[in-house]
Amino acid sequence: MNTLTKLNQWLQAGLITPDQYAAISAFETENQPRSNGWLYSFMILGAVIIGLGVISLIAANWANITDSTKLGIDFSLLFVLAVGVFWQYPNRRHGVWFEVLLVGFMLLCLASIGLISQIFHLGGQWYHALLFWAAITFLLSLFARSLFTRFFWVTLLLQGLVWSLVDFTIPDIWQHWKALPAVLLLAPLLSATLYYATFPVKTLRGFSTSLYFWFQITAMIALAAIDIARSGGEMTEYQIAWFVPAYIAAGLLALGILSHRHYRWLNKLLLLSALGLLLLYFHPDWLFSGQSRYSLFGSQAHATVGFWQADDIRAPLLTLAILFLYALHSGNSGRQHTFNLVTFVIGLRFVILYFQAMGGLAATGVGLIVSGSLIIGMTWLWYKSRERLRAWTTGLQA
Amino acid sequence: MNRKLWLVVALALPILALAGSAYLKSVQRNSGEAVTLPISGFDPRDLLSGHYLIYRVDYGVEVTCDKQQGPASVCLKPKRGFYPTGELPTDCTLFIHGQCNDGAFSAGIERFYIPDAYAQVLEDKVRDRQGELVLAVDDQGNAAIRDLLISGKPWKDTIGGLD
Repeated sequence: MNTLTKLNQWLQAGLITPDQYAAISAFETENQPRSNGWLYSFMILGAVIIGLGVISLIAANWANITDSTKLGIDFSLLFVLAVGVFWQYPNRRHGVWFEVLLVGFMLLCLASIGLISQIFHLGGQWYHALLFWAAITFLLSLFARSLFTRFFWVTLLLQGLVWSLVDFTIPDIWQHWKALPAVLLLAPLLSATLYYATFPVKTLRGFSTSLYFWFQITAMIALAAIDIARSGGEMTEYQIAWFVPAYIAAGLLALGILSHRHYRWLNKLLLLSALGLLLLYFHPDWLFSGQSRYSLFGSQAHATVGFWQADDIRAPLLTLAILFLYALHSGNSGRQHTFNLVTFVIGLRFVILYFQAMGGLAATGVGLIVSGSLIIGMTWLWYKSRERLRAWTTGLQA
Repeated sequence: MNRKLWLVVALALPILALAGSAYLKSVQRNSGEAVTLPISGFDPRDLLSGHYLIYRVDYGVEVTCDKQQGPASVCLKPKRGFYPTGELPTDCTLFIHGQCNDGAFSAGIERFYIPDAYAQVLEDKVRDRQGELVLAVDDQGNAAIRDLLISGKPWKDTIGGLD
């Protein structure tokens, strides 16, 4: 709903006077940004497509053009774009060209790395190229005004950094898919560490939204993946050494949490506990044997193992504990959307846990009725009580 | 320093870094001692991956990384041999540095970018052991690819016959 519609509603409801209506309308018209989000998006999309076109042309690796000509054209384009960015700098607040040229320049830098690799037949890894790109465009990314540009830079930085760090302990990871959990664990820990690192430095705060976004996405993926792997008795053959980058990131993250000025001790305790449980979850063999399963969606008979010793019971309980701690922190620190999302995921995991534990029952007619009722009941309970729960978490150590 | 000056620095930095990188690679490729080594395909993996050929370099000596990980070197002169980096003989005058990873030796020269149109034909030629790699090797053991030879000729010269 736009401002004008809102103002009309408020005027009709008698909340504002006609004079106030006129004053607010005049103010909004005067201060309306000259460019809008759609325009930005399409202009940047155009720049991205042009960038992809340039990359495709380079990838075509046309043989009839000499190396020096290819490099000459590439560096001329870079120079022209750089001049364009500088030229548009004074208009950066009112126009879209500064941002479009900036994105174009950054994309061309990436394409140039590809071109140099191609001309000199370099055998490096793609993530090293991304890391190099992120390093040389870091200063430039600080000038970006659009969230998209910063998000683009952060995304490629995280990709380059995560895979490069894992490469230290597991060279040629593509041959070792068993080592993938090391990447899955490192990604959210590194995103969160960098997120906390942006707070003390004002110029870096523009990256915090993108880092927080990637932290949440990668954390959910990591949690889902480890839950599936542990519940299914996977991940029995791997080495602690693979996880060294993740453990270092976890140490830095713990420091970030402890030194965060806006957190009360309760938030710090909740986050550190969640972090500890996550590390425990990924640890090779402290809690999980890979052998003992209680049941798996009713597809196998109950093994001769106690309920609490079974991998497929311990795994969801750990998932729920981590999510619960994070939900408490989110609610307590006023992150309503995160709180709603995490509590919804908790409910979803409870339902799946029910099917895991009572798999045989769900195969019967009565069992299906009970299961359906449980889903409806859980959803209703979540919808009705989430506000009360959030209010309770907000009140904790208030 | 005002923001405009910072912007100039921010714009100049990537250009200088990329230009420096290209220059250093160019110097490395054009200097150093020229060495020609045969290459071959290795089954069952496909040689062609995207727009580049991958292959196995024949150093003229058995290169086995079964028992070691990390840095290693191939000595080319006066006597060919494969050594962990610390054990490279002091009289070795020409050598290539690389890494042992998962049983394979890699010196960063195992990839050659080619035009898509000639990919299959060049792959077949390399599989038939007609391929050779011309390298420039500096005195630090860094190797850079100068060219790919097919039956002793630069691959671009053979394109006419491949069409």
